[in-house]
Amino acid sequence: MGETPLTGNALEVRGLTRAFGARKALDKVDFDLPEGAFLSIFGPNGAGKTTLVKILTTLLNPSAGSVRVCGLDVVTDAVELRHKIGLISHNPLLYADLTAEENLLFFAEMYGIPDAEERVRELLESVELDHRRLDLTRTFSRGMLQRLSIARALLHRPDILFLDEPYSGLDPHAMDILDTLIAQIRGEHTFVMISHDLSKGLELCSHALILANGKVVMFDERDAIDEAAFRETYRATVGMGVA
Amino acid sequence: MASASWRQFKAILRKDLVMEMRTHEMITSMGLYAILTMVVYQIALTEAGEALDVRLVMPGLIWVAFIFMSLLGLNRSFVHEKDQGCIDALLLSPVDRPVIFFAKFSGNLLFLLAVEVLSLPVFAFLFLQGREGISNPIWLLGVVMLAASVGISGVGTLLATMTVNTSGKDILLAVVFVPLMYPLLRAAVGATFAAVIGGPGSIETFWSWMAWVAGFDVIMLLVAFGLYEFVIGA
Repeated sequence: MGETPLTGNALEVRGLTRAFGARKALDKVDFDLPEGAFLSIFGPNGAGKTTLVKILTTLLNPSAGSVRVCGLDVVTDAVELRHKIGLISHNPLLYADLTAEENLLFFAEMYGIPDAEERVRELLESVELDHRRLDLTRTFSRGMLQRLSIARALLHRPDILFLDEPYSGLDPHAMDILDTLIAQIRGEHTFVMISHDLSKGLELCSHALILANGKVVMFDERDAIDEAAFRETYRATVGMGVA
Repeated sequence: MASASWRQFKAILRKDLVMEMRTHEMITSMGLYAILTMVVYQIALTEAGEALDVRLVMPGLIWVAFIFMSLLGLNRSFVHEKDQGCIDALLLSPVDRPVIFFAKFSGNLLFLLAVEVLSLPVFAFLFLQGREGISNPIWLLGVVMLAASVGISGVGTLLATMTVNTSGKDILLAVVFVPLMYPLLRAAVGATFAAVIGGPGSIETFWSWMAWVAGFDVIMLLVAFGLYEFVIGA
């Protein structure tokens, strides 16, 4: 589904700092991620993971440093960049009083998608919700909401997908469906996933990053990671607590 | 770019209208409040009987009801966006923030006007039956209602965006909104009084108050337009 050739870096983060008052949620974060990669971000609560994803998705501006996503600056090129990113969160980001179809058609209009009805039909089929397309999403189960959320995030064929604890609150069946959907589109997008589940995160990723107290504790390619050492480092960072 | 903004404006406004038609949250809360306020006014003025010319206090009564009624609606106007994190999905889409402001403002304006139009006959039924009516043409009342509602909705939409993430948003919105509304409220009451009471020079007085209302609208809409990107991203 991705349309941009996968070459170069999807993410270029240099000296990224974000402060809330005197507290630094992110402190001089540096890393690059090649296009087509799958980055899993781990860290304790308050480590700065969500702040990092909010900055990468243009929802929050950095206090210092530079961040380029798909070659575009998150501050100066924000509107253009938003065409290239999608977000799947533990929140469905869907309107409860609109039907599944109305939700997707609304976001299709926001992104200016041509042949929106055809695209919406295609996505509802791919997430197996076409039979519920006319139902209000407030009647959906958590798993169904998450599947529709995936359809919403893929609507505009983004180059890079951000997953903010996407498995949170899902039952095993819904987790299987999400696994299948991610596997289907794996080669077509760059992925950045926040996870507290080390096994799941390491299973999916090509790159892994541990954040603690707003700083990068470890960042490496999956193949170069010794899993036992990685788990030990992760346990140690969880013990570091919140900045 | 302009056509994209227009398309996005229509999409957000249509979405808000569809959801309101389904839930009736804003219309019901504002309408009920307006009717209850009129009933309380009626009880409060019962003892005055025929001695009181209700037209003298009608402008003040109407605008007090409209201002507090609008607070209820404005408090609800961002609830749908807050639920399930929808505001993040909206902000993730390639839309200029002022487009979001004007769409939300237009929705709030339509809902406010709808309830105002519906509550005026109730007011007339309760207070003006068998009494002298409005002296000047009734469309003057329509003009002041429309113009003042623009100001109420513009400032209210901006403030509702600012307070939606705060814990005491209901009281905070009222505390900030009502003092900011003072100049508009004064001018709207003045214009409504001139329209209702009539008499020599009342039309000139009406338009001089309307100039204040229009000035407030222009200034506040420009301020809201300029600040919205910062406010919604904060």
